[in-house]
Amino acid sequence: MLQENSGRKAITYFDTACQSLRPKSVIDAINQYYLKSSACSGRSMHQLAAEVTRNCDQARSTLAKFLGAAKKEEVVFTRNTTEGINLVANSLNLQQGDVVLISDKEHNSNLIPWQTQARKKGILVKIVPSCADNIFDLEAFEKCLDKKVKLVSLSYTSNLDGVSIPAAEIIKRAHQNGSRVLLDAAQTAPHQKINVRSLDVDFLAFSGHKMLGPSGTGVLYGKYQLLEEMDPFLVGGDTVASSTYETCEFLPPPEKFEAGLQDYAGIMGLGAAAKYLQDIGFEAIQKQELLLNETITAQIKDIPRLKLIGPADPKLRGGIVTFYLEGVDSHRIALMLDQMASIMVRSGQHCVHSWFNAHHIQGSVRASLYFYNTQEEAALFVSSLKKIGKVL
Amino acid sequence: MFCIVAFAVLSILGIFSATNRALAKEALDCVLRRVTLRPCNTGFDEKIKAKILGSVITRSEVAARFLNKYFELLSWVFFVLLMASSIFTVRGLYLYYVTGSCNGLNDTAFCVFDPNGDNNKVTAVSSNCYLTPPTEQDLTLQGADFSSFPVINQNVTDNKIVFIGCYACDFTRAAYPVMRELASKYKVNMIYADYPVKEKTDYLSRVGYCVNQADPDKFWKLNDELFVTDKSNLDNADTINKLMTDIGLDTGKMNACIADPQTETAVQNQFSEIKKTKFYGTPTIFINGEGFVGPKPYRVYAIRLKGLLYWIY
Repeated sequence: MLQENSGRKAITYFDTACQSLRPKSVIDAINQYYLKSSACSGRSMHQLAAEVTRNCDQARSTLAKFLGAAKKEEVVFTRNTTEGINLVANSLNLQQGDVVLISDKEHNSNLIPWQTQARKKGILVKIVPSCADNIFDLEAFEKCLDKKVKLVSLSYTSNLDGVSIPAAEIIKRAHQNGSRVLLDAAQTAPHQKINVRSLDVDFLAFSGHKMLGPSGTGVLYGKYQLLEEMDPFLVGGDTVASSTYETCEFLPPPEKFEAGLQDYAGIMGLGAAAKYLQDIGFEAIQKQELLLNETITAQIKDIPRLKLIGPADPKLRGGIVTFYLEGVDSHRIALMLDQMASIMVRSGQHCVHSWFNAHHIQGSVRASLYFYNTQEEAALFVSSLKKIGKVL
Repeated sequence: MFCIVAFAVLSILGIFSATNRALAKEALDCVLRRVTLRPCNTGFDEKIKAKILGSVITRSEVAARFLNKYFELLSWVFFVLLMASSIFTVRGLYLYYVTGSCNGLNDTAFCVFDPNGDNNKVTAVSSNCYLTPPTEQDLTLQGADFSSFPVINQNVTDNKIVFIGCYACDFTRAAYPVMRELASKYKVNMIYADYPVKEKTDYLSRVGYCVNQADPDKFWKLNDELFVTDKSNLDNADTINKLMTDIGLDTGKMNACIADPQTETAVQNQFSEIKKTKFYGTPTIFINGEGFVGPKPYRVYAIRLKGLLYWIY
């Protein structure tokens, strides 16, 4: 997109936390499906269908490898992280009185599904408060853990401030307590190496559109045994081996969770995106993100009335710089950045309304950086923001 | 206030751009909220303010700071200006409809709906004829005697038109058929007073006088012909003779009358009467004493005769 954008003013895209741009290999993979093998997977027997089945299977294998999963059947294709979390919320056998622990800065996608289960089944949702600088508070977490906690569902990396949680330690303690762990890795998968086996996580969900993949694609990882035990959330075509007028026989995971005709082009694109990220390497990605974050953080911290959300150290915030100017509407800043220099950032409450409401903050501006961003773009962002700081 | 100004501006820009149309719709929503005493919480004003500031800041930080600081005040200023210009626009539209000019009857100042000023154009009488050239305020029928001029619907007394024109003048030629239609449709008493602004048509004033003396009905037939015939024929005696013959007039008698010095005297007297109106160009049309200078649209005369709802008559 950056290459094809010659018709208009050069853009600075700092909104990857919302949706990333796509490399050509991903677009080619999508196009290849529509141009060369636009057919069903797994249903028909003809050669096109076989090719689609093979390609989707290949994508699943790539994503299993991307996650370090034990086998590809632990990868369930979804539309996005939200669907993955909803799948677990609806399929995990939670009972009245069971407790689900979440943090105080969850995306609505990891808050509303649990609130809904609380209304439907009578589960309890408990909040683990963060430290003052938004770092995960292990002590507070430990205090919240008791035998009623059946599930710990946390954002691996916060979309609010880019802070990642000590996932391995949390999972270890949760398992010691007999609790399952679900990680919302929407903001992690694009930026950090994930190994579900070394983490020993039970479930992990992420989206394709934030990690160079197509929109409308996502993955729910689940330990195979847990997936086997769970009832499917959405049911229908492609989820059953056979049916009578009275009953049906579900397919094993992951098929029983993938109801209806899937987004084959998207799945292939997602596989290509995972491969692209693996080829670049997360070390290089994180290095570039940190470089940009350090540049920006160092130069904007002195802007009067500017408040950074999250820890001051950019190393703890990955590729995210979230801030607000006291007394200034965040949308105004975002619109001005766009108007002034075609800098695209997110403004508002970033689907973490609960945190903003609790902290009585109207909203913030979020610049989310990725490996395709440059130092020149960071400098332009800083100079534009300084001008805005002087004017508003 | 800002959303009202924005709505007006974006509505106009929206004619040319879909983006602005969408913004105009947002502005309208905001206006409706304000009108119904609800808060405009759509973020529209914030969005537009940011866009404006974003543009201004790249040119001048000082200007952007000023704009940001006094945005509300400036919005009010623009609102007042918008209201004032709207009032003037409505007034201009009304005046254009009623008088043919945005600025009032016979006003020759620029009017966007009549950019060439066609509704006020006249063939001017030489200003050398006057010590102080008259203006439209000087126009009057008082003291002028039009009893010797040709008239149709003579018995009608409630609506009277005096049409001062010139056969060879383009603007009179434009106005004449309009006036004839009006006089016919609304049965109006109408006098035609010829004043040859173009000297070559002096002769036609005498022709008209003689024909009217001989047969008033035939005068109007001849008059109609003179206003449709090519202007190049107007100083050609043969053509005039043929026109008179065609409507059944004795050209011998007519030419004798035309050559008679008494006719010249009578015509000069008529000119003197016309000059008393202080007209300064043709056509000048008096409708019930009010002067209309230049060829106005049909509706302007009709409104003066029958009111704003003239078309229902």
